[in-house]
Amino acid sequence: MNSRRNVVKALGLGVPALALAANAAAKTPVAADPSNPMLLACERPADSKLAKRFPQVLVQDQHGEKFWFYENLIQNKLVVLSFASVDGEQAYPIIDNLVKVQEMLGDRLGDDVHMYTVTTKPEVDTADSLKQYAAAKGARWQFLNGDPTSIRKILMAFNVMGSIHGLTWVGNQRTSRWLTKPSRVQPIFIAEAVGLLSTGKHHKPYLIDMRSTIA
Amino acid sequence: MAKRRDVLKGGAAALATTPAIFGGSMLPRVAQAQLCRPEGLITPETEPLSPQVTYFDQPIYIPPAMAEVDPSLLDPGPNNGRFRHQRFNEFPPVKFYIQQETEGYWNYHPTLSALADPVQKRGSLAWMFNNATPGETLVARYGEPCFVRRFNNLPHAEDAQIQEFGYPATTTHLHNAHVGSESDGFPMDFQEPGEFWDHHYAMIYARHDYREALGSLWYHDHMIDFTATNVYAGLSGMAIFYDHIDSGDENDLNESALRLPGGYGQYDLYFILHDVRFTAQGQPTYNVFNTDGHLGDVITVNRKAFPFHEVEPRKYRLRWLDGGPSRFYELAFFEHVEGGGATRPVSRETPIGFLSIANDGNLLEEPVDTTTIVIGPANRIDVIVDFSGFRGKTIDVLNLMEQINGQGPTGRRLQGPDRVPVMQFRVKDVNTEDNSRVPDFLRALPDIDLGEVVAEREWVFDHDMGLWTVNGQFMDPTITSAYPKQGTAEIWRFRNAGATWAHPVHVHFEEAQILTWNGRPPTGVGKSRKDVFTIGPGDDVRVFYRFDDFLSRYPIHCHNNTHEDNAMMLTWEIVP
Repeated sequence: MNSRRNVVKALGLGVPALALAANAAAKTPVAADPSNPMLLACERPADSKLAKRFPQVLVQDQHGEKFWFYENLIQNKLVVLSFASVDGEQAYPIIDNLVKVQEMLGDRLGDDVHMYTVTTKPEVDTADSLKQYAAAKGARWQFLNGDPTSIRKILMAFNVMGSIHGLTWVGNQRTSRWLTKPSRVQPIFIAEAVGLLSTGKHHKPYLIDMRSTIA
Repeated sequence: MAKRRDVLKGGAAALATTPAIFGGSMLPRVAQAQLCRPEGLITPETEPLSPQVTYFDQPIYIPPAMAEVDPSLLDPGPNNGRFRHQRFNEFPPVKFYIQQETEGYWNYHPTLSALADPVQKRGSLAWMFNNATPGETLVARYGEPCFVRRFNNLPHAEDAQIQEFGYPATTTHLHNAHVGSESDGFPMDFQEPGEFWDHHYAMIYARHDYREALGSLWYHDHMIDFTATNVYAGLSGMAIFYDHIDSGDENDLNESALRLPGGYGQYDLYFILHDVRFTAQGQPTYNVFNTDGHLGDVITVNRKAFPFHEVEPRKYRLRWLDGGPSRFYELAFFEHVEGGGATRPVSRETPIGFLSIANDGNLLEEPVDTTTIVIGPANRIDVIVDFSGFRGKTIDVLNLMEQINGQGPTGRRLQGPDRVPVMQFRVKDVNTEDNSRVPDFLRALPDIDLGEVVAEREWVFDHDMGLWTVNGQFMDPTITSAYPKQGTAEIWRFRNAGATWAHPVHVHFEEAQILTWNGRPPTGVGKSRKDVFTIGPGDDVRVFYRFDDFLSRYPIHCHNNTHEDNAMMLTWEIVP
């Protein structure tokens, strides 16, 4: 899980001097979250190759902790990003399947792999309702909601329409590679996508070798 | 479309009212206007307008034929270790080739190269076969089996200069060769950088029937989840199969030879269309988050932006291939009036007539006299154009198909100045020889015996919850959705359940003949063997398949590769 310390770290390392200077000239930064004075409400940097594609909006997880969507949750990270709502789950549950992915990721979850589920019903879902739902399912990753306008920007960026969405994005923002998997595909294929997009010791082209063999 | 004879009789050269691939009437303008979805994810930042490039001021690139290599260079040798092939010893290869996939620079257009690489002007970034895109053309002949070893020497994902799209693991599909599954470029048969894969092309007709010959093929990457973007990065090339009928030699003395305009690269030309979008820095860009599909605003032919080609005043065979990922074309030839270069060309309004001779690379029984061709992603149409009446003149090839998003065409035909430039032919004022012929009968179609049919299967293409689905399912490589038995025939039915989108449905390995398109028997170029059935909104197509010669797994998928990568693919398997 992202702790406050991580957020501070991201702010410290991620903000280019130029952006800070520009912000300083614009206006004095104020705290975006009263409980976290380090989370500043100034314009966010968009310095990475895909940064412009991800909204720099404020979101909060089910524990009430606030984050800048791109800067704190996506930038330089390997992520598994899904879209769901408590209502939508009744018709087309995806969280059960993603819990199995969570188990396959093991210790990597929250360490070098981050899972997020963005609410598709920001007007209805609250931090509390998401917290309750995640806990009931055994989901230990972050469920994101926030100001509906901000959340809609995220949904639009990923072509999400309606309260039910069947695609999960797996992306490595260090290498700028993203792919989709059906959220209800066998969980090992989502874990496999994480392995494919991992670099270094965690890189695995496949978990199941399905290449042709002729006896 | 009418038969050649009928049209000649009537003397008409009017635009066909119904593009053949759609087989039925298109959506009226009023209806279409109500079908647009919001385009929230398309912004100037995610899908910028490409830098302005000039029209028709650079020559086209004609890829050379692949050069054979000495098989003793192959270490390990063919058919070894994990790379064993069905029926290898029955059809031992007589021609050997090596291809290297690498990252490098490609000159799409001098303007773009100057932006991408101002000092050395090497070009824009590309993933290539043997340092070119399209890769060298595989020019093969029935009865002469080939062996191709392809090395993935692309950089690792974290080192590649092409970022934002593509993934440097590859598997190369030869579309739509009649080869064993292990040589077919199955999406799970991928190799990572530093590895290679062997492909054995037996060069046999399906069922050893000369009527099953394939003519215009292409090879392209088929990596699971990354087909659209890897092909877009440059991993595509063409292939031509010749035989004793379609021999590629217009002076062939053999009685069986058709003597169509021949000589690959000379009078027999192959053009692959890719629509590309470039950044202000002259690099190709692709919005992977737009799961509807990709549209580029620079039309490239053989990866050259709006090129020209000089031709002699005689007959040519032009093979057109839509390389995708998502754009559909209706191509027509018009005499050039003025403009070009920095200003958009002005062309005449009346199209020039020509003959269509092949659909999806397979010769028709009779040439079809027409004025336009309609192709969706992966469709091929071969045409014969006679430039002899245009000595010293210039002819513009324009796209008449309107398309505003990756889902499919709107159904409107572009007219006048809205027609989109593609490429240009400049007819030289020279004397030339032309011994080519276009016979009234080309190649017979195999018989359809409905008595052989043992099963009928339906494949419904739809969109659900952000996923592109087939029969409500999405790609899961462990699931096999059909097990047709070798030596049997089946009727497959492809249905588009969508209202706004088109799906070029591609089935690997076998060609099929259309039985009915929306209940009606096929006419014109539809009377053919095909491997990509481009189904428009609501289309319902029944086709006749036979399954022979090789076993194992093949995919069926949408060849709008963005849809394919977003789950619109299933596996089927031929069993003994």
